[in-house]
Amino acid sequence: MDVEPPLHEDVLARRGAIVAGLCRLLPEDAVISDRARLRPYETDGMASERQVPLAVALPSTTGEVVAVMRFLHREGVPVVPRGAGTSLSGGALPRADAVVLGMMRMHRILEVDYADRFARVQAGVTNLAITEAVQKGGFFYAPDPSSQLACMIGGNVAMNAGGAHCLRYGVTTNNLLGLTVVTAEGDVVEIGGRHVDAAGYDWLGLLTGSEGQLAVVTEVTVRILHAAEGARAMLVAFKANEVAGACVAAIIAAGIIPVALEFMDRPAIAACEAFAHAGYPLDAEALLIVEVEGSAAEQDALLARISGICARFEPVSLRVSASAEESAAIWKGRKGAFGAVGRISPDYLCMDGTIPTGRLAEVLARIGEMSGRYGLKVANIFHAGDGNLHPLILFDANDADSQRRAEEFGAEILRLCVEVGGCLTGEHGVGVEKRPLMGVQFNPTELAQQRRIKEAFDPGWLLNPSKVFPAADAAA
Amino acid sequence: MTEGAAEGEAPRDEAGIAAAVLAAYEAREPLEVIGNGSKQGMLRPVQAARTLRLGGLSGVVMHSPEELVVSARAGTTLAELDGVLAARGQSLASEVPDLRHLLGSEGEPTLGGAVAANLSGPRRIGGGATRDYVLGVRAVNGRGELLRCGGRVHKNVTGLDLCRLLAGSHGTLAVLTEITLKVLPRAERERSLAVRCAEARAGVAALSIGLGSAFGVSGAAYVPAALAGRVPGLSGPAALLRVENFADSVAYRVDRLRALLAPFGTVDVLEEEVSRQAWRSLRDAEPLADGEGAVWRLSVRPSAGPGVAERLEREMGAAWFLDWGGGLVWLRGPAGERGHASVCAAVAEAGGTWTLLRAPLALRQVVAVIPPEPEALARIGGRVKAAFDPAGILNPGRMRAGV
Amino acid sequence: MQTSFTPEQLRDPGLAAANEVLRTCVHCGFCTATCPTFVLKGDELDSPRGRIYLIKDMLEEGGPPGALVVRHIDRCLSCLSCMTTCPSGVHYMHLVDYARGVIETRHTRPWHDRLLRRLLAALLPYPARFRTALRAARLARPFAPLLPRSGVLASRMRAMLALAPERLPAADGGMAGKVWRPEGTRRFRVALLAGCAQRVLDPEINAATIRLLTRMGGEVVVPDGSGCCGALAHHLGRHGQTLAEVRANVAAWTREMAGEGLDGIVVNASGCGAMVKDYGFLMRLEPEADSAAKVAALAMDVSEALLRFGYAPSRPPAGITVAYHAACGLQHGQKITEEPKLLLAKAGFRVAMPAEAHLCCGSAGSYNMLQPEIADSLRERKLGNLRDCAADVVATGNIGCLTQLAGHGLPVLHTVMLLDWMAGGPRPAALEAAAVPEPEGEARAHELAAEAAGQLGG
Repeated sequence: MDVEPPLHEDVLARRGAIVAGLCRLLPEDAVISDRARLRPYETDGMASERQVPLAVALPSTTGEVVAVMRFLHREGVPVVPRGAGTSLSGGALPRADAVVLGMMRMHRILEVDYADRFARVQAGVTNLAITEAVQKGGFFYAPDPSSQLACMIGGNVAMNAGGAHCLRYGVTTNNLLGLTVVTAEGDVVEIGGRHVDAAGYDWLGLLTGSEGQLAVVTEVTVRILHAAEGARAMLVAFKANEVAGACVAAIIAAGIIPVALEFMDRPAIAACEAFAHAGYPLDAEALLIVEVEGSAAEQDALLARISGICARFEPVSLRVSASAEESAAIWKGRKGAFGAVGRISPDYLCMDGTIPTGRLAEVLARIGEMSGRYGLKVANIFHAGDGNLHPLILFDANDADSQRRAEEFGAEILRLCVEVGGCLTGEHGVGVEKRPLMGVQFNPTELAQQRRIKEAFDPGWLLNPSKVFPAADAAA
Repeated sequence: MTEGAAEGEAPRDEAGIAAAVLAAYEAREPLEVIGNGSKQGMLRPVQAARTLRLGGLSGVVMHSPEELVVSARAGTTLAELDGVLAARGQSLASEVPDLRHLLGSEGEPTLGGAVAANLSGPRRIGGGATRDYVLGVRAVNGRGELLRCGGRVHKNVTGLDLCRLLAGSHGTLAVLTEITLKVLPRAERERSLAVRCAEARAGVAALSIGLGSAFGVSGAAYVPAALAGRVPGLSGPAALLRVENFADSVAYRVDRLRALLAPFGTVDVLEEEVSRQAWRSLRDAEPLADGEGAVWRLSVRPSAGPGVAERLEREMGAAWFLDWGGGLVWLRGPAGERGHASVCAAVAEAGGTWTLLRAPLALRQVVAVIPPEPEALARIGGRVKAAFDPAGILNPGRMRAGV
Repeated sequence: MQTSFTPEQLRDPGLAAANEVLRTCVHCGFCTATCPTFVLKGDELDSPRGRIYLIKDMLEEGGPPGALVVRHIDRCLSCLSCMTTCPSGVHYMHLVDYARGVIETRHTRPWHDRLLRRLLAALLPYPARFRTALRAARLARPFAPLLPRSGVLASRMRAMLALAPERLPAADGGMAGKVWRPEGTRRFRVALLAGCAQRVLDPEINAATIRLLTRMGGEVVVPDGSGCCGALAHHLGRHGQTLAEVRANVAAWTREMAGEGLDGIVVNASGCGAMVKDYGFLMRLEPEADSAAKVAALAMDVSEALLRFGYAPSRPPAGITVAYHAACGLQHGQKITEEPKLLLAKAGFRVAMPAEAHLCCGSAGSYNMLQPEIADSLRERKLGNLRDCAADVVATGNIGCLTQLAGHGLPVLHTVMLLDWMAGGPRPAALEAAAVPEPEGEARAHELAAEAAGQLGG
């Protein structure tokens, strides 16, 4: 049972006063309250869910965030933090009684230190902008979600974002040193710093991936790494999904951890090729993108070993990228995959679950069977090295039945992930999308434990309401 | 009360653990949770009527080499786990220190203890802490309820990341019963470069150059003259950098790093076995293990390491060496409140964190062994502790007095 | 993305086309990151995705849009950076152009806004009128400090006065109906879009283009009746005027194609090129649909033409570093990114690319007069990135960018000026002003440049 917690009627009734209060705290253009202009804020990267917020506040400093949070806490108004609004699980979906706290104006790079290998940035800096800021020193910020061009580091922290290269470099939580957060009550707290492993409880780890449930992130200190001497991608095409899956297992069993190991099935290959013109083989059933790093000789050695393993699985084709441009095109296709699907379908649901990599072929076969049963096409893209699946279910939002079937199809895929020993989420978070399914992975005791932690940070349940915790389970 | 004396219960299964915790919860009687007691001398002493030993709960439950995952019960010894992994060419990537010599303890270190203390060795600087490799845990909270957190997949967090919270919580929130870890292939070869460097600042600058290079340095320590004789392969003060990979790659990287680091001093190369011995010694803080005095483990930004260490050498005659590129300061000095205050002040000024790792009971009873938290966070921390352990029965006082 | 239009609404072919665009958008948000106004303003409403949503809402509702909504659409530069970024292939240009038309018909702007827009539409496309207006602006400039410090109107007037050049070059004497014969045998024949504002502001660009093409064996014609491409009126939402201007061009070029024939229609202003290449779509519902599509297919930027017809330098490399400023009409509107750089390299220049090359400089047609505050911020940002290149000179393929960036200490000139110089043309005057060192053995070029400068001065 998933019942939406009721709106705070008293908040709705005090809308005018709340907006006026915000206007006293922020510059004139930093508060949006007219309905026409609130509409674009009614949804994020998961456009199937929509709710017009009470108002939007656009702070530029941690100080302004504190002022807004203190005010809203005093008034008992729910807050929905929002970065670039690229969440695919509805992580920034507003509520009618909530103020959207847009972090897009907090986009300053505050400090870059190559000797100590960190960068301190405001929460509204995009993921890619961090890498761009440290590139001249030869460094990069490792987690690289597909939306890295647009998504913001604050949202990355909230969702514990991953990406194609986290097989080698880890996800967001593995690449953080510190956070500045503002609590539900409006207190500023510094977590961690420029050093690693603060003694005491791992607040940094707990806050990362907490989807805005525990605090609002305003500044982030990330670890930066020196880039490898070079990298090269290889495209290996197979005649069946199972064969590609077996090949992935064989590569890892041989003790090789490529920096990236990505999988696409036939429909995904077609959509991405149409966007990126990367020379993806259109006649293959399954495609692996394997990337290795190092000096030219190191790359050669690794690619030779990987090619040798792939050869045992009778690939349809095997192509090693010959230039940086070619590799860039290969990644452009993969990173634009979700949007590229917009070329073959008006709408899609991007699922995100994880499975033990050994169960890959079986899971793909069952997704194929479901696709037939629901009468909806699916394109599969996933991080093969770590078992993070991204099935894209194609549907038409202008057709209500098609949307309903897509949602049921998605839920069935996620149940399957849990059934085979995986998780409901990989790197997109629970959001509103997977909230009703939390009970599939966790029993009531476990959910109650999570809920108590939420309450320790946010006793009034005002932070990013109606997400993560199943509604029936959340505080009334 | 003396330490480690209590006999206590040692259940052989998870249900037994849950029952023991539940009984303590219902009786509102504090419970000291220990594995085999190898780290009992760390942090603050626990005042508890009951003792729960995890040593009986052991064994590797699952190992899937091609998925890079292993699950084992909390009481499994690290030695046993390492054996299972080594048979398939894998290992725990975070190089968990063995502190028995330093702490003067005996019991075989367990996986549960390593995770509960989030102890990480030299490879932490590049690869991550022990908690970074924890994919999932099963644990019993202070109400005697079994919790499953994370999973067996690499992207393991759905909902709140309780795995990370429990790792490093020293058994104060829940009793770990089973842990699933990400493991990595063992490197085919390792070599280390020892850059002869008399000055710590220059040494850390050399480490910074190495860590900020494209050559995947997996260990970066600085050993001053006073302790150099205690580290295998070193004959004088040196910055030590490790490279691990397949053979050809290691040869290439050693050459490139040697050229890069030449301006800092003569570069010697430590071959496989000597390199292993050197890093094992640093991992376990062997150079400081003998001798009287308290031992602190400080974490600051790498460039601040030399300043903090040298200041404390001046103020309290401390002996020290640096790991993690300079950011981890291992320090031994007189066990007293004055020295402890010096350590706290030096770290506070540099920005960082500290743990009083070894000290006589008398000192550990009267001073904080880890830094206090800001008020707003401490308030939340108290509520989080209560969210797991409402009766306050799990390892009370182990991390902080009164919590 | 879901839309909710009634079947009646969708019978309007313009709205139906807009609906198609809206349906392509999957709301992923990638476009926000590369949108100049989002980068500056940090508000979803000033991003492509936000504007798409505002437009969707406005079209679904069907009524007049409010002033607050119009403000965000007006802030769009139409730089089309979003279209380069969009993985889904959303044709934002068609959507926003349609929305602008709808706004012009349904929304009543304040009197001064209406007046200014009418003025711009009545002046810029007509060289003679524009010339007169610039002279007037020059005379008015001393009075700029008398303008009120704040207010939209005052800041716009200040912006217009600032953009008017210090010295106006001599008129080009009219180009319509003229034919320039090739040097040697005729290898190809092209029509040149002579343009409007560019002819007044910098007639040398057309002159250099013609010298280059004729030197390569091309015959260049500016057919009678061809004039402004229509982009100016189009971006002001003036549908009627746009169609009239496009129609005139299509007719003129179609006559030429049917007559002696054309191998291309060369455009040397990037925004105009993007416009002409879209004539097929613009005229799809008009009787001239077919001929417009044929004209569009023949259109090419001057850089494409030079590469296709075989540009070759005749002078030794000048040892100069050129920062290439990619005009939005080229890089986003026409997806031309490599050609100009290739040509510059071919001509012996070292080419440097500034950071944030994808961001607009703020010129954007008449945008810098209508939205001076945003345009100024973008100019400062662009100039900063260009200065970081430490180049001798900045080259770009659009008169708008030239005007926007000129006069701030960096010599800025059209790419064809440099290419023409290296192929035997005069040394560009802009290099003189910036004291770019004279390469050895370039005495002759210097003389030519001096001549050219003399002509301009007189």
